[in-house]
Amino acid sequence: MIKTHTARLIAVLALLGVAAFPLYWMFVTSLTPSEQLFSPSPRMLPTLSQIATYADAFTETSLRLWLVNSLIVAVGTTALSIGLAVLPAYALSRLDFRGKLLLGFALFMTQMLPEAMLVVPLYDIFTQLSLLNTLLGLILANTAFTVPVVTWILKGAIDGVPSEIEEAARIDGCSRLGIVLAVVLPLIAPTLAAAAVIAFFHGWNEYVFAQTFISDDTLRTASVGLASFVGELSTPVHTVMAVGIVYTLPAVVFYLFVQRYVVAGMTSGGVKG
Amino acid sequence: MMSRTANQPKARPEAVPRAAPLDHGRWVPAFFVAPVALYLLVFQGYPLIQEFLLSVTSTSLLDPTKHAFVGFENYRELLLDSEFHQVLRVTAIYTVVCVLASIGLGLLAALLLDGAFPGRGLARALVTIPWAAPPVAAALIFVWMFNAQYGLFSHLAQFLGLSSGGTNWLDEPSYALPAILITTIWQIFPFSSVVILAALQGVPSELREAAVIDGADRLSVFRAVVWPTIRPSVALLTLLITVWSLRRFDVIWLMTQGGPLGETNTLVIDLYRRAFVYLDLGRAAAVGIVGLVIAILVTFAYFWLSLRAEKASGKR
Repeated sequence: MIKTHTARLIAVLALLGVAAFPLYWMFVTSLTPSEQLFSPSPRMLPTLSQIATYADAFTETSLRLWLVNSLIVAVGTTALSIGLAVLPAYALSRLDFRGKLLLGFALFMTQMLPEAMLVVPLYDIFTQLSLLNTLLGLILANTAFTVPVVTWILKGAIDGVPSEIEEAARIDGCSRLGIVLAVVLPLIAPTLAAAAVIAFFHGWNEYVFAQTFISDDTLRTASVGLASFVGELSTPVHTVMAVGIVYTLPAVVFYLFVQRYVVAGMTSGGVKG
Repeated sequence: MMSRTANQPKARPEAVPRAAPLDHGRWVPAFFVAPVALYLLVFQGYPLIQEFLLSVTSTSLLDPTKHAFVGFENYRELLLDSEFHQVLRVTAIYTVVCVLASIGLGLLAALLLDGAFPGRGLARALVTIPWAAPPVAAALIFVWMFNAQYGLFSHLAQFLGLSSGGTNWLDEPSYALPAILITTIWQIFPFSSVVILAALQGVPSELREAAVIDGADRLSVFRAVVWPTIRPSVALLTLLITVWSLRRFDVIWLMTQGGPLGETNTLVIDLYRRAFVYLDLGRAAAVGIVGLVIAILVTFAYFWLSLRAEKASGKR
């Protein structure tokens, strides 16, 4: 009994090692002096006195600007996705209407369209609408890909709300819109939070659109900024890794705090639905 | 409102029709659905139609407003193009390995994290780290780890005596796809494990205990009790990971751009290269449409199979 217990613990530790190691390695590399980066035997521990690398990451690159732009895109994508998705999610769950099946099908279809495929036609549309080189353009393009997922997850949660609660509100004379906003939304708040996190991450991580639609350096997002270092040699490796950590770590830590809700939301709505 | 629900459950059936006129009838669904329908039409439907129209023309990125209608010539040439055959082969290998490995590893992780042990909550959270890391960051760190002279994989291979060092996996035709696969699987297996872990909560523990008391070994408990419960989730994971693998761009593009010698050139990478490296928008669009058709076929196969499985289990 004790033997299987220990075996399981060792296996779990190995699993967590695999999961966490690459980010740990990014961190170690960011805190390794240049001369040791290229030594034949790698150092497995960070050199904490190298912490000034993080200051360099901000002074030698436009990291601060990139992060602000990514934040704008991520928050904008989240707000627009949730705003657009709530009512259709309710309609898919509760109302009967013509084209309901078609809407469900169209939402699912978007999961099959690669972003890279729509880059060319969207570029054309954005040129006509003067949305090239704007963060708003990125928000609009990202939302087209997050709205279906968010709608689907919210629909799953609304399915779980007992309709008796709504009917009581209807007797009181609430309109459908009032019911959705005042009765249903508070009841699905955890799933709403999960959906928001998913949309936020999509906006924070997105690369193809940001790479193709933005040519103005002051509007670059962090994903594109970081990508510009891949395979490039003029910026010191530890500075690049420091930029990587500053871009990655807040997202990962934030996710660890909210993952309980995300998992619950994904599994109740997105996956089972 | 809430308390009334509890007090007057019997008033429900008659009350609903009386409240209905407040809905302004059938306009409610239209009002609820129209914004999102319009949004998707503008940013997904219209671009998709544009992409299809591009695929039957010869159009260069240098002069994108000038189209020459060529019918299905782009498709015909793709079918005859041996480089495109390689693209299909690479995409198939990439997708199948992604699905099998990430579900296998995810299942293993889920079974490990399902039991009771100290720090289980923390372990369940930590295992999701790769899923939370941005793909661009994952590409960056793995490129560094695959570096020929200073990368960890190179040190490891030398330490194990597998190579004399100096090999950059990403430059070697036979190692580049495995390197991309390692990176991708590291990123997505936590998703499988989280979904399977949630499904495992639905396994009735009395049933499992009963099977153990009956003297069933672990494998037969898994096959008889655990697998039937998680099978629908695994099926859905198969579909999702297939479709996501068919559209994954950032990790592959940043690590190899489809090279060396096209060994990591998946459909989406090929589409992007044809558009922005070879400036051939028409052929690129045709590649995109082929990829889309494959994704749709896979999805229909999934729904057909799961419908059949549902019927089969219903008869029992």
